[in-house]
Amino acid sequence: MSWVGIILSFALVDNVILSRLLGVCPEVCAPGGMRTAAGVGGFMAVLMAGSAVGGWAVDSQVLVPLGFTLLRTPAFVFLVAGLAFALRALSARFLPSLLLVTGVSIPEIGINCAALGLVLITTRAEYTAAESLVAGLAAGAGYFLVTALMTAIRERLEVEPVPRALRGFPLQLITAGLMAYAFMAFDRAFLSRVLGG
Amino acid sequence: MKSGLVLSKSMLSENPIAMLFLGLCPALAVSVRVIDALWMSVGVILVLVLSGLAMALLSRHGEVDRGSAAAGLLRALVITSFLTASFEAGLLSLAPTASAALGIYAPLIAVNCLVLGRGMPGVTSPSLGSSVAAALGRGIGFAASLVLIALVREALGAGTITLFPVGGFGGTIEIPLLVEQPVRALGFAGGGLLCLGYLAAAARVISGRAAAKSAGKEAA
Repeated sequence: MSWVGIILSFALVDNVILSRLLGVCPEVCAPGGMRTAAGVGGFMAVLMAGSAVGGWAVDSQVLVPLGFTLLRTPAFVFLVAGLAFALRALSARFLPSLLLVTGVSIPEIGINCAALGLVLITTRAEYTAAESLVAGLAAGAGYFLVTALMTAIRERLEVEPVPRALRGFPLQLITAGLMAYAFMAFDRAFLSRVLGG
Repeated sequence: MKSGLVLSKSMLSENPIAMLFLGLCPALAVSVRVIDALWMSVGVILVLVLSGLAMALLSRHGEVDRGSAAAGLLRALVITSFLTASFEAGLLSLAPTASAALGIYAPLIAVNCLVLGRGMPGVTSPSLGSSVAAALGRGIGFAASLVLIALVREALGAGTITLFPVGGFGGTIEIPLLVEQPVRALGFAGGGLLCLGYLAAAARVISGRAAAKSAGKEAA
């Protein structure tokens, strides 16, 4: 697939949250305003790009040559969790305001399935290192986009009259569901039209 | 930290129903067909129960008192990810079609179980029975919700109910009328999120009523 194709499909067509339903949970329950959304989105974009490249390295350089492909799941789980911890430590050292803004505990982000799922997708599609990096960045951008949109919608919904049973978590899920339908405008036909294929 | 954040965090991590729904999120993608949901549930129950057992055995040897929260998370990561890998390998050799249908969502059982298994008594009490019972309870709650969502999505979204093929039964039940004109929207990704949202609201109403009833009994 061409570079534009990879970027568009990971950011929009196969959006991690809305199309593959990965990482819905922290997305849906992360409270806070736009600053939080930007912080979480940026963190996830870096984590996803790092995980995708790391996944490529672990899979194609270590596991496949050694024939240990059954160990993919533990290897990827440790990779993503380790990267999340390292990123948290780095941001605590250099960007303490990020942690203050997001206030999310990183283990929660680390064991979320968006990054792990992305690693599984890119390694199963046998992407090269550069393709994995681009796919990870694009998926991170898609994650960021959906986080920002969801936050904006939630801020509007907070002042609307909503049945009590739906308030909070259920309403967030329904919002995400309706947005997933909206994102269906970005489908294979859209991709082939853009690529001119 | 903002008070809203603290509130929602405590609600989410201390409310068992909310935790159940958090655990359900990664599994939504396999709720398009009932049979996939059933396989996913089998995996989650197996991994949860076995990891509960392993945690209880570890704590019996006094390993859990030492070490920090990070060490606890690391232990949970090791146990669940290796159990998930074993389940994947077993599924691949025993039921390759199911393994193909679950796709990338089979390895994600590890994440599911980490979310579902948080705060389980296996970590604090060394009793084998109680930790296995707790794991089984959570697993069954997860399975029941996931299969319910899959039933709604497949029956309305495709007009069929796919189960295991047994003997002369091909494995697929077709619902008349619905199979000709299904509500296809429910089969798409958005349908899963909508179903989970309404199920979460229904669960909240029901548990709220039950709590009000028990409070009324205590007052009387």
